[in-house]
Amino acid sequence: MSPDTSRAAPAGLFDGLKVADFTWAAAGPIVTKQLADNGATVVKVESFRHPDSIRLGGPFIDDKPGINRSGFFADFHSSKLGMAVDMSHPGALEIIRPLIEWADVVAESFRPGVMAKWGLDYDSLRAINPGIVMLSSSLYGADGPWARHPGYGAQGQALAGLHAMTGWPDRPPAMPKGAYSDSVSPRYALAALVAALIHRERTGEGQHVELSQIEATTQLLAPELLLFQATGEEATRSGNRKPGTIVHGVYPCAGEERWIALEAGSEAEWDGLCAVLEAEELLAAARAAGEDALDAALAGLTAPREPFALMTACRAAGVPAGVANKASDLLEDDVLAAREHFWPLHHEEMGTLSYNGPAYRFEKTPSRLRTASPRLGEHTGQVMTEILGFAEADIARFRAEGLLQ
Amino acid sequence: MLEISALAGAVAGRVLADLGAEVVKIEPEGGEPFRRALPRVPTHDGEESAAWLAFNHGKRSVTLDLARPEGRDGFARLSATADIVVCDWERLDLDTMDALAGLARAANPGLVWTEILPFGRGGPFERYAATDTTLQALGGHLYLNGDVDRAPVRISLPVGLIQGGAEAASAALMALWHRMRGGEGQRVDVSVQECIIWTLLNSTMAWQILGLNEMRGGAIRKERANRFFTRLVWETRDGYIFFGPVGGGGGAARLKSYEALLAWMAEDGITDDILTRHDWNGDGQFFIPQADYDTVTAVIMRFIATKSTEALMERAVRERILLAPISSVSGVFTNPQFRARGLFVPLHDPGRGLEVELPGRWAHLSATPLRRPAPAPRPGADSAALLERLTERNTA
Repeated sequence: MSPDTSRAAPAGLFDGLKVADFTWAAAGPIVTKQLADNGATVVKVESFRHPDSIRLGGPFIDDKPGINRSGFFADFHSSKLGMAVDMSHPGALEIIRPLIEWADVVAESFRPGVMAKWGLDYDSLRAINPGIVMLSSSLYGADGPWARHPGYGAQGQALAGLHAMTGWPDRPPAMPKGAYSDSVSPRYALAALVAALIHRERTGEGQHVELSQIEATTQLLAPELLLFQATGEEATRSGNRKPGTIVHGVYPCAGEERWIALEAGSEAEWDGLCAVLEAEELLAAARAAGEDALDAALAGLTAPREPFALMTACRAAGVPAGVANKASDLLEDDVLAAREHFWPLHHEEMGTLSYNGPAYRFEKTPSRLRTASPRLGEHTGQVMTEILGFAEADIARFRAEGLLQ
Repeated sequence: MLEISALAGAVAGRVLADLGAEVVKIEPEGGEPFRRALPRVPTHDGEESAAWLAFNHGKRSVTLDLARPEGRDGFARLSATADIVVCDWERLDLDTMDALAGLARAANPGLVWTEILPFGRGGPFERYAATDTTLQALGGHLYLNGDVDRAPVRISLPVGLIQGGAEAASAALMALWHRMRGGEGQRVDVSVQECIIWTLLNSTMAWQILGLNEMRGGAIRKERANRFFTRLVWETRDGYIFFGPVGGGGGAARLKSYEALLAWMAEDGITDDILTRHDWNGDGQFFIPQADYDTVTAVIMRFIATKSTEALMERAVRERILLAPISSVSGVFTNPQFRARGLFVPLHDPGRGLEVELPGRWAHLSATPLRRPAPAPRPGADSAALLERLTERNTA
């Protein structure tokens, strides 16, 4: 996208919002990405002695690790400006203080204690900028006995109960893909952060929003926690079965590792599925014989079918069906294409890659991924002069002192 | 805020109610169908859905027959006083949703009209039949879960619907913030499929950059950076832990974690030389022969099987060992860290005979703390009060 189209584009919802972004890894940067992709000016501050660790997490362009080569990092950093500062340098506050004065929002996701060590805990920030809204997101939360225990979203999904809820009842729990709590908590963090901005708009009062990635993720288990207390019944993983449905399973299709999820929750959907599979009598007999027999009969019928054609036929019959999409399928998915979910963005070292856009659409203030992820320190000069108003001589001095990169 | 919902819309309302909004459910006479969803718990009112109770406490309820002119008129008048309306496709078909949006937005042009849909707006796909599980599949997550010798497996929770609800809450608040600063009201739509895609974190980049579709795994899987299979689920004396002690994606924290594990094993007299035969977490970590990996795993597995999950985590926190219990529902409920931070808050509902604790304190806001739970409404509990208030306002 050229700068010309960017000027012609409609206003973003967060145009004018100013964000000093100290987040790293996934859960924090996914929140500030929502701000940036909706028009906020987000300055990502990285310590060049300890850059964001997922810059060192793959996939890397050409399979060669490098600080500016990670697709994992790139996807969470569209539309952001990047500056690199030595945060452990005793003079760091000389640069960071004006950034705090400038900002509406300070976001961070360090282990508890790191921001305080730099003199950037909430009380210090408030002393510099009384209306500041601070977001602190960490794995375990800011206090409690495990607050400083290291870990990632993989530990998070285990402790939040999601891991145990995935897999077959007759086997150990299967590991859900990803660092699942890293993707749940941003939705809750963003809601709380915007609520704090609304409160500030009404009253002028800033505040500190603090949350644990794992605690936010336990919202997914709220019904099971209630059930457990009210009845003593402890829900656990149930493979692909779901009580109250007639058909609920994942079945093989033609092709390498091709699978389709099929569901019939009503007699109308059941009839539709039987018609699509052209096997009313066989399926009626299997249904009467029980769940295992029904799953086996369905698998026999789906196995020779092309998965996407079968899904299309199910949709025409009003039957819920979903091919188990691989990542490669998503990039070719016609629904996602019509929604313009993927945004091709050009990066000097990585070339053009399709970044994931948000899951929501605003009718009048469309989101826009403006730029690819910043290289480490790519915008240091721009932020220092245009946003913080430093003179070239100051910047040269900071560079000489080893404060800036 | 008004809510016309099954599960996803109710979660959006839950988030907004926790953050202080007055949430009014619009229900048919006798209550919305989701009140009876499985599984149910016994209450003084008979059986009620656990999910309905978990996500609808502290809200109000107005019953309206939206198929009749009086009901639609009542809805339009309530919409005129609302900031946000949230609805979802499991409760409203698309034609009804469109008709209600027309009424509400005419009555209140500043309204934030929020829809949770399987695929969002924008084409014929608006009407495709879909459910949480089919969307876990279409979003690309289901393909990546489960043992390789069986079909891919879902997360046995409606994760797409719940995350769609949370996403809708944050998007609705963004639109409200914009309106408060002089912007227009608008429609916001959320795609559950796209919410699921965001749980993959790096899969679409891995395909583009490396031409690699990852393969699912169960307790044992070949992680992206690895050339060999690693064990990530370990059986303890009384449960399971997640742990990747050696190989494939290390860093300083992993090195220290492994040293602490070896020290503990040595205390128990386990000093097999396989434990130190490789540079397990250093430069050689990506090039470990599978046979050696399996040998070291067997030694570590025997050690872990002698310990309780609680003892493992207690030592892990003390010595920075990178493991975590794979908590069951009861494990989540008793987790000492959650308890110390006050995640669980009581819901006293004497009318239903329900005394439970819910994970209600999911964020700590210093100036505007999250609201404490209050009983869920009976169908139409607030009809008289809220509709009367509107009538008074109209005649005043």
